[in-house]
Amino acid sequence: MTDADPGDLVSLEYTIDRRSITFDIDEEIYPRDATYGAAYLFVDRCFMFLSRPSAGTVRVRLRSRDAEPTEAALETLAGEFANELLNQVMRQRIGESTAKIREYYMARAFFGGHSNATIDDLLAELDREELEEAPLDIPVPWKDGAKGEPEQSVEKAPE
Amino acid sequence: MSERLAFDSELYSLSAVEAAAAAYAELASIAVAREGDAVVVTFAPKGDQADLLDHFSNHVLSLTIQDRVTKAGEVSP
Repeated sequence: MTDADPGDLVSLEYTIDRRSITFDIDEEIYPRDATYGAAYLFVDRCFMFLSRPSAGTVRVRLRSRDAEPTEAALETLAGEFANELLNQVMRQRIGESTAKIREYYMARAFFGGHSNATIDDLLAELDREELEEAPLDIPVPWKDGAKGEPEQSVEKAPE
Repeated sequence: MSERLAFDSELYSLSAVEAAAAAYAELASIAVAREGDAVVVTFAPKGDQADLLDHFSNHVLSLTIQDRVTKAGEVSP
């Protein structure tokens, strides 16, 4: 723990001018991909410009598309950007921590038990699974072609 | 009247700046030059459309991010 003022720990320091708000991002805390991820989501909402005031720091300038924004609106914009930045960091970390298991499932899907299955076999398996859960037992449209012979529909014409 | 904008070459890709310059060629006279760690754009709008340089820098940023995503998805041989 440090003796830092708690206010310093939670504040997002920024500068505001008539139409824009500018703040710095530490790349050790927020990787650049997180900054890009947040920026990509905000590109429709405001004008953005990134610069590098010093090594390891990205300066973000958000410029309102509104010609006369209020200071509160600019602060809200910066706050929402900071939230999205955190969201992006979390997404990135979860992505990294689950990468192995995703690779495992992909490998299993491609090279597992269905390696010799044909498209027809897979479609037939899907049909079986769907019909098991379907209480109305309505045939799927592609089933006739897959089986090679048409099946009778279970639907009745309205009387 | 022309404006100059320096895109840091670590944060923006040169190909994105060039592609955006090509896309905006009908709206502005644009010169792209490499100066140290930056790609400097000299931008002179042909009309009086508001915020054209801001639209241009958003375009460069979008293309840079798309480039980065594309490169991240490439599998090396």
